[in-house]
Amino acid sequence: MEKIITIFLIIVAAAMFAHGLWKGRHNHHHFHIGHSHGGSLGIDALAYSSKMRSWNAGYKVLLATICLILCIAFNNIYVSIAVILTMGYLTVVVGELEFDHYISMMTIPIVFMVVGAITIAIGYSLKPIGEYNLHVFNLFYIYWSKKSLLLAAKLILRAFGAVSALYMMTLTTPLTELVSVLRKVHMPKLIVELMNMIYRYIFIMLETYTRLKNSAESRLGYVDFRTSCYTFGQIASNLFIVTLKKANAYYNALEARCYDGELNFLEEEKPVKTWQIAFAIAFLFVLFAIWFLTR
Amino acid sequence: MKRRNEEPILQVKDLHFSYNDEKETLRGISLDIYEGEKIAVLGSNGAGKSTFFLNINGVLKSSSGQICYRGKTIDKKSLNELRKNVGIVFQDADNQIIASTVEAEVSFGPMNLKLPRQEVIERVDKALAYMNISDFKKRAPHYLSGGEKKRVSIADIIAMESEIIIFDEPTAALDPLNAAMLEEVLGKMNEEGRTMLISTHDVDFAYRWADRVIVFSNGQIIADDTPFNIFCQENILEQASLKHPTMFDVCRIIEEQSEITTQESYPRNINEFKEFMNKLLLTKNY
Repeated sequence: MEKIITIFLIIVAAAMFAHGLWKGRHNHHHFHIGHSHGGSLGIDALAYSSKMRSWNAGYKVLLATICLILCIAFNNIYVSIAVILTMGYLTVVVGELEFDHYISMMTIPIVFMVVGAITIAIGYSLKPIGEYNLHVFNLFYIYWSKKSLLLAAKLILRAFGAVSALYMMTLTTPLTELVSVLRKVHMPKLIVELMNMIYRYIFIMLETYTRLKNSAESRLGYVDFRTSCYTFGQIASNLFIVTLKKANAYYNALEARCYDGELNFLEEEKPVKTWQIAFAIAFLFVLFAIWFLTR
Repeated sequence: MKRRNEEPILQVKDLHFSYNDEKETLRGISLDIYEGEKIAVLGSNGAGKSTFFLNINGVLKSSSGQICYRGKTIDKKSLNELRKNVGIVFQDADNQIIASTVEAEVSFGPMNLKLPRQEVIERVDKALAYMNISDFKKRAPHYLSGGEKKRVSIADIIAMESEIIIFDEPTAALDPLNAAMLEEVLGKMNEEGRTMLISTHDVDFAYRWADRVIVFSNGQIIADDTPFNIFCQENILEQASLKHPTMFDVCRIIEEQSEITTQESYPRNINEFKEFMNKLLLTKNY
């Protein structure tokens, strides 16, 4: 049974890969919005340009959550591989995220996983007690077994499955839409509004900080370590004052447009399409089937 | 002014305001604004222009004085009436934009007016089309350029369909192309009969665009007249540290050199200037 499923997964992977290549043939020039501020804000820019942005945000959150839970609960190599493949396919081929970007995002957790898996896969001892042993410098033995390798592989795949499901969500859905999902599940208004405002102000604060930093740098503010420390302190305190001023200006602007204590925005309705529901059901069914057949 | 028999939209009577008790920022402002007027507000930094705008929008509360909207005196309860009908486009678009998509941002005002969803959608689409930014609908404001942000901030106010629109130094951070775009939009709005107040330091712009100029100095209105009359009064220009518009100076020099006084007012733009020159050449019989 395992062999059949392995072959099945390989065929599916090949088909997805082929589809990706075929799609990529048409548009070599991917669409970029704005400049990346690096790190987590890069994710935001990627989410804005994703083709899967038009999908219902609640649907994506639900699908990602279910996949995450199944991946962890089943703890099954085949299920994990199926989740990784499908989520990767959705993000890269359907969402048209550049493959390089996806891989570089995936390498962020890879270090943690490999380090964690190594400690599970291999052990060391003064006597050769494992299935396989490696004598190091005539001092001690590093040993491992088929079972421990399998366990490590399972762990890595399981973690990657979970990560890929969450990436599918975050790389295709801008934060504001995630926040509106939270609003729909009746998260307290205060938290939802704070999330919205904080998100917007992160960019403004970064911009202000960059301006202050550039002006300090142009006046040799970072010439040596001591000056750098001093400059950093000055910028931090100035940033605080600027923030207070900006908050005031914002409040005026809000009031000018009849703000009455509640932030109301028009939220776009993105209905879930029938084929999307059908896809989700079919996919979950396949996951269950794989798990059942390889138990 | 020309429309004295008409009822003013907005009437300000002896308005006083201070941020703290030490110094009054506005010291007795009285002003009538009539429908369809194009008013340029001039004055140096700190003269009280922006404070005045926030006052007539109902954001800041005056310490004494009266504001009447269409004959109705505004009190605490009807402040929102004022905010609904007087819209401000702030100087720095980044200080105005709060939502995380352009569509949501423009919808903020109409949503606060508690309009039905369908009407909000219609108004947003209309405002975006008006400012020619329909393509940016789904974009995040932090990925837009300065000029694009300015357009969004104007669309914000257009969607509220306020009767009076105030622009606080709109051309301050714009490149020439975007400034030209802005003037085009202002022209379009005026054709639709909207009432506009624009504060600016650009006397050339004020001279060619406005049909009424108000000069602020030190928390007071020191002059309120047609652009031509204002720029003829040297003492006022000096008090508010303003310069003559280039067109004004050029025409005056021509007039002086040709020793003919034909016009009561000077041309305000290039087309009018051409006519002016033609007339001048005809009378001189060159």
